[in-house]
Amino acid sequence: MNDLVVKADQVAKVFGQGEGQVVALENISLQIERGEFISLIGPSGCGKSTLLRLVGDLLSPTSGSLEVNGKTPKQARLDRDYGIVFQKATLLDWRTVTKNVELPLEIMNTDDREATISDMLELVQLDEFADHYPWQLSGGMQQRVAIARALAFKPALLLMDEPFGALDEMTRELMQQEVLRIWDETETTIVFVTHSIPEAVFLSTRVVVMSSRPGRISDVIRTVLPHPRDEDTRDSQQYYERITEVREALRRDEGSS
Amino acid sequence: MTERDHEIGETNETGFASAFEGDVPVGTRTPSAIPHRLKGLVPAGIAFFAVIAVWEGAIRLFDVQAFVLPAPSVIVGRFIETSDVIWSVGFNTMIEALAGLIAGTILGVAVAFGTIRWVPLREGLMPFAIAANSIPIIALAPIANGMFSITSPVPKMVVVAIVVFFPVMLNTARGLLDVDADEVELMRSYAATPREVMWRVRVPHALPYFFSAMKVVSVLSITAAIVAEYFGGSQEVLGQYILNRASLLVFPDAWAGILVASILGVALYGFVLLAERLVMPWHVSFRATDAS
Repeated sequence: MNDLVVKADQVAKVFGQGEGQVVALENISLQIERGEFISLIGPSGCGKSTLLRLVGDLLSPTSGSLEVNGKTPKQARLDRDYGIVFQKATLLDWRTVTKNVELPLEIMNTDDREATISDMLELVQLDEFADHYPWQLSGGMQQRVAIARALAFKPALLLMDEPFGALDEMTRELMQQEVLRIWDETETTIVFVTHSIPEAVFLSTRVVVMSSRPGRISDVIRTVLPHPRDEDTRDSQQYYERITEVREALRRDEGSS
Repeated sequence: MTERDHEIGETNETGFASAFEGDVPVGTRTPSAIPHRLKGLVPAGIAFFAVIAVWEGAIRLFDVQAFVLPAPSVIVGRFIETSDVIWSVGFNTMIEALAGLIAGTILGVAVAFGTIRWVPLREGLMPFAIAANSIPIIALAPIANGMFSITSPVPKMVVVAIVVFFPVMLNTARGLLDVDADEVELMRSYAATPREVMWRVRVPHALPYFFSAMKVVSVLSITAAIVAEYFGGSQEVLGQYILNRASLLVFPDAWAGILVASILGVALYGFVLLAERLVMPWHVSFRATDAS
């Protein structure tokens, strides 16, 4: 088995043609190992969401080579190798929590769905809300349902596109704790797009710092904070040092471009 | 959570937008929802009886002639006395309206699906459909009488079906297209087939739009059938009954006929409301609002 979940080599993505063309990503080379927690951080327009969508085969690269789980992104998508969580929970209004989590299982026609669903709801600590409709849940709970749904079919990779961007600060910190616990328990590889420097540092094994026009990777910072991470981590000296390091990396790009 | 604009004027209750703060569940379905709704009907009931009372009083006070406007008590009296006839002609009209409503709805939904499946059909057809929707289709009634046997109910059914077709088709098509980009990406991430996207995402999205259209066309179907009947054909229908009684200057009888038409319209509308509630109990418009 290939140990790399994502292997990008000289990947570029150009939108449009001729005069109106925009280089969204240029010269992206990145290797993500199994079990890593990678954050993509950078200013708006740096192409971090685009990169996530290339990995998920929701977009195709213009040039370069990209492998997901040792296959083409398309094959990985067809094999249901990844789950995805967006900024909006994107739950289907007409389905209860249970039925929302069941959606991918229905489409993939898997067996023993009930057990899987109850495992997943337990994982995100929403077992009591199985029969609720999305509108009866708070924003944080909705996002937890979305995470349960993304993990229900046990994908090797979890793609998260600013999943906590719409949550208030307190809920956000709780959700960060939650996602780390889930990452620990499921051993899923996570690629996480965020705007927040503390969030990226707190969660990740490595932070990929990107800059814009054209979107590119300018720095990769290993967080080297001990696991498990908790509230004490947020108070630690190391944590502040990493945050400063990421902030400086972002600022450096700002100056150079 | 978004409130959606359902094209044909419908307002959704929005008392829960503020409830999405903090990580706690909100807006649980409460059994108090039904009495609460009935309580909401009280002002409408008062207004209704007030209007009837003022109407009745004004006609007695100013001694208004029956050919101008009969008193409600007179209309109700004739409604009871002639109930055999008016309900029998009303039944015939109801059959026309129902047949047209069902045919127009089936056709409208089928074409709406077609426009989603085949993009050229959508691009080619939609502008014409939108234009056709603004034509007063009822004006086609005399022509329909010529195309089909005038004495049969078929030309009336055809007119009703055409009247029903356009709003149903346009609204359903709009609903099928009203899908979040995220939802499409989500389904794509599952490697879902277009058919699965259609049934699991598009169709549920289209239901509120479909029912908005049905609420309008259910009432419209009765109107269209009666107006089509004015242009001739069988005498045993509500439109001809109203026309005849009015030309004989028996206005309270004509008004009694109109009352039957109203009851039929309200009954169809009520049926649509009930169906809507059964088909999409999850919908935003049925949620109990704790705020109010």
